[in-house]
Amino acid sequence: MPTTALTYPLLAALSAVLLPFAGFLLSAALGKRAGNGAVATSAILLSLLAACYAFAQIWNQPPIHIQWHWFTIGEQAFHVGVLLDNMAVMMLVLVSLIALPVHIYSAAYMKGDPGIHRYWTYLSLFCFAMLGLVVADNLLLMYICWELVGFASYLLIGFWFTKDAAVQANKKAFIVNRIGDIGFLIGMALTYSHLGTLDTTALIEAPEILPAPWLTVAGLAFFLGAMAKSAQFPLHVWLPDAMEGPTSVSSLIHAATMVAAGVFLLARIFPVFDATVLLVIATIGTVTAFAAAYFALTQYDIKKILAFSTISQLGFMMVGIGIGMYPVALFHLATHAFFKCLLFLCAGAIIHEMQHAKETHDLDMDPQDIRNMGGLRKHMPLTFTAILIASLALAGFPFTGGYLSKDALIVHTFEWAALQSGAAKLIPYVLVAVSMLTSFYILRLLAKVFFGSLSIRSVKKDIRIHEAPMRMLGPMLFLAGCSLFPLFSVNPLNDSYVWLMQGLTSPVSTLPPLRLLHLAIPVLTTGVTCIVAGVAWQWYVNGKYPLKGGGLFYRLSEHQGYLDALYDAAVVRPVVRLSQLLLWVDHYIIDGMVNGLSALGRSFAAVAAWLDQRLVDGFVRLIGKIAWGLGNVFRRLQNGRLQHYFATLFFIILVILLYHIVVLL
Amino acid sequence: MIPLTHFLIVGACLFAIGLYTVMARRNAILVLVGIELMINAAILNLVAFSRYDKTAYGGQAFALFAIVLAAAAVAVALAIILNAYKFYKSVNPEDIRNLKD
Repeated sequence: MPTTALTYPLLAALSAVLLPFAGFLLSAALGKRAGNGAVATSAILLSLLAACYAFAQIWNQPPIHIQWHWFTIGEQAFHVGVLLDNMAVMMLVLVSLIALPVHIYSAAYMKGDPGIHRYWTYLSLFCFAMLGLVVADNLLLMYICWELVGFASYLLIGFWFTKDAAVQANKKAFIVNRIGDIGFLIGMALTYSHLGTLDTTALIEAPEILPAPWLTVAGLAFFLGAMAKSAQFPLHVWLPDAMEGPTSVSSLIHAATMVAAGVFLLARIFPVFDATVLLVIATIGTVTAFAAAYFALTQYDIKKILAFSTISQLGFMMVGIGIGMYPVALFHLATHAFFKCLLFLCAGAIIHEMQHAKETHDLDMDPQDIRNMGGLRKHMPLTFTAILIASLALAGFPFTGGYLSKDALIVHTFEWAALQSGAAKLIPYVLVAVSMLTSFYILRLLAKVFFGSLSIRSVKKDIRIHEAPMRMLGPMLFLAGCSLFPLFSVNPLNDSYVWLMQGLTSPVSTLPPLRLLHLAIPVLTTGVTCIVAGVAWQWYVNGKYPLKGGGLFYRLSEHQGYLDALYDAAVVRPVVRLSQLLLWVDHYIIDGMVNGLSALGRSFAAVAAWLDQRLVDGFVRLIGKIAWGLGNVFRRLQNGRLQHYFATLFFIILVILLYHIVVLL
Repeated sequence: MIPLTHFLIVGACLFAIGLYTVMARRNAILVLVGIELMINAAILNLVAFSRYDKTAYGGQAFALFAIVLAAAAVAVALAIILNAYKFYKSVNPEDIRNLKD
């Protein structure tokens, strides 16, 4: 039952949420004076400390649920509240733990940007929104934070708003997210109309109150929301474009704040989903994982490769939700957060140095294109070490966090598929294939960027690339440490020792274990990864298999499945044409009616003005003129001459007399 | 006996002369004289009509009153003219055109 008693863990969690908000307000109030980011960074640091305290107090303890009355509509009271269970505090720590190194890194990465004070303000808002989302106890509050997350990401993706591509990208992200928000809203409306409340606890305790078809519809609607937020195929198109934002922002979006929201939502309201919805989720997740990994194979923009890798990994998480093992999905979310954040920070460091080389040597090149890089291993050894760890985690190599979560996921998918029939049995095999593709594209990236020789040296011999500054390396090395296994499990090879999953596992989410798979799958995936790595090495470092570009599959991958072109033709252009038509209607018919009315009014007014001037005013002027004329006549009588007065008097008497005489006669 | 008509004609002539004098003269004293003529024309009429009142002689009594009143009026008027002359240095009514100081 919800309480209203404030306790220390609760206060800590609340302050963890509200501190970034305070940082946001303070940064906004200070304006340019907050340019060094001290406010935002210290806010997130304190938030992390508070979150850690809350975590230590609440993890594996009974959940704390507190509610206050918010507002009342009719009979129905709405509450604002905080629900602190294992999931919430885990996310609380994760978000602030990822955000802190990003803040520190940003201070160096964004140094000298003219709009940096805006950057800190948005970043604090972003963190606040995500932290609020994870502790919210009802769908309405969650939705508000959900929208705030979307809005803050819109601001950050379009941070360099003078760049047209950035403006297009943030518009795209916002619009695609609106599609998902409609799903969330429909889900909320269904929940409210059947349950009469928006509390998540009420929803997950008794989802069966929703009648059968509506339960499925609500589940699909919530999933639509998560699809847009967590970039699931075919609504993933905004995420690769969102690379137009600063790289540090990308790392935050991809790791813990934006895309994690969708997965978190699904895990939070997991009991709502029935078998149909779960199968849809698993299928969409598989398609996403495969398509994104496939698109990542041929990209040349370093950030785009990482973006597709994120989408692919989010697909994995969705499969985790879809097979009913949301603890595994959240565990993969956590491990992925660390290594993906690290990958982006490393990419940021590389781009930073390439940009530096471009500016000092006045080169005409794209600092994000991996074809311009090569051989950076010797120039940036620490960055190389960090990105190597992150890449191995992404590929699912043993001794990394990624190994634990990804193999757990694949193993559980096999267990799940054993209970399924038909095409669903294919899902785990697809995932194995995807993990092969993952190893391939990430090793391709490593090979192109860090091995061979620096391509731009062929233009200018004296180009020197330096190691990233310490304030960028520090957070990177910290995250590299977090990407390894000790943070998650004492046993580097067996996922059943993972404390995080043990804390999250609930009775609703267990599958009959297949013991053999727990041994076979890790061995298989690791072996396959090694083979693929060997192929990639031969291909890109030794140049053994020269790439035959231009084939159908190559082009399909390079153009990201022509999805953007399809959307452009199927949605964007019809909408633009429709809006042009509506503009025409508005311009000529609606405005025409209004203009016609106004013209009619004007002509009426002209007639009225004429009448007023000629008739009314004329009458008034006539009276004035008569008075003036009379005055003029009688003025002459008042001339002060005595004898004139006499004459006048006499004349008047004469007239009166004559009148009498005439009348009397 | 002189008929009434003659009196009336003489009175009308006197009145006409007096009126002309009042309106046409450029000397305030002569204007006063004209007024006297008109008053006398009126008095003549009173006296002439009093033949129809043989018992009370109301007309003649009124004539006496009128003569006295005329004398008083002339005295006042002459005083006004004297003062006006002192102020305007003129007895021409054309020059006496405003009443203020």
